[in-house]
Amino acid sequence: MEEEQLTIDLPKFGPCTFTASEVLEFPWGLPGFATLHRWLPLNLDSHPTFVWLQSLDDPTVALPAVDPWMVFENYDPKLPAYAFTSLEIREATDFATLCVIVVTPNAEEMTINLMAPIIVNLRTHKGRQIMLDGSSYSPREPMPRKMPASSKSA
Amino acid sequence: MLVLSRKINQSIMIGDDVRIVIVAVDRDQVKLGIEAPRAVPVHRSEVYEEIRRANQEALGAAPAATGKPEKATLRPRPKPPR
Repeated sequence: MEEEQLTIDLPKFGPCTFTASEVLEFPWGLPGFATLHRWLPLNLDSHPTFVWLQSLDDPTVALPAVDPWMVFENYDPKLPAYAFTSLEIREATDFATLCVIVVTPNAEEMTINLMAPIIVNLRTHKGRQIMLDGSSYSPREPMPRKMPASSKSA
Repeated sequence: MLVLSRKINQSIMIGDDVRIVIVAVDRDQVKLGIEAPRAVPVHRSEVYEEIRRANQEALGAAPAATGKPEKATLRPRPKPPR
């Protein structure tokens, strides 16, 4: 059965078509955006390595994020038990990890939040930002220079 | 805000399944023990606040983007190199 195509006009990106099954549900929102529960992961040509987490509840909110292993190969977050139980994650292949980045005009000052990865259950599409309280990972880790901010050759 | 007085080893219950015990008091520092279900996150408030600010900052700093928005494919963690 064809799934119904939905359209939203995004202030930042323009018109966007999606289906209900592509929507990620964050039952607890995100810190700072506690009431925003429905998010769409988007790619845009201008920043091919970014995943934009676009809120569907407040179209003005879109957070840039990346797969942390593209940047830090040895990143090894030890997720607390609540991450697995609250998201019903059973296996390592069950979930994706995204880290929010702060993009500055000066690429050398870009930072990535390794302390609070966003975990998404790939079966249920439920997500949550998990705080690695007590870990040595920083919420503002400088991005290494090899990370292209806007190149197409990533 | 509800304010309660407790002594060492006394506790309070929050709901049916969260218990907070006063473990030790040393001048201006209090050690708490927290028993909560595995699905309940427990953090120091500063950590939550720090992440809240980091998210807001990421939103404020987000660059202009061009191109047609396409659905991003999320993948599990790549197998670590041996």
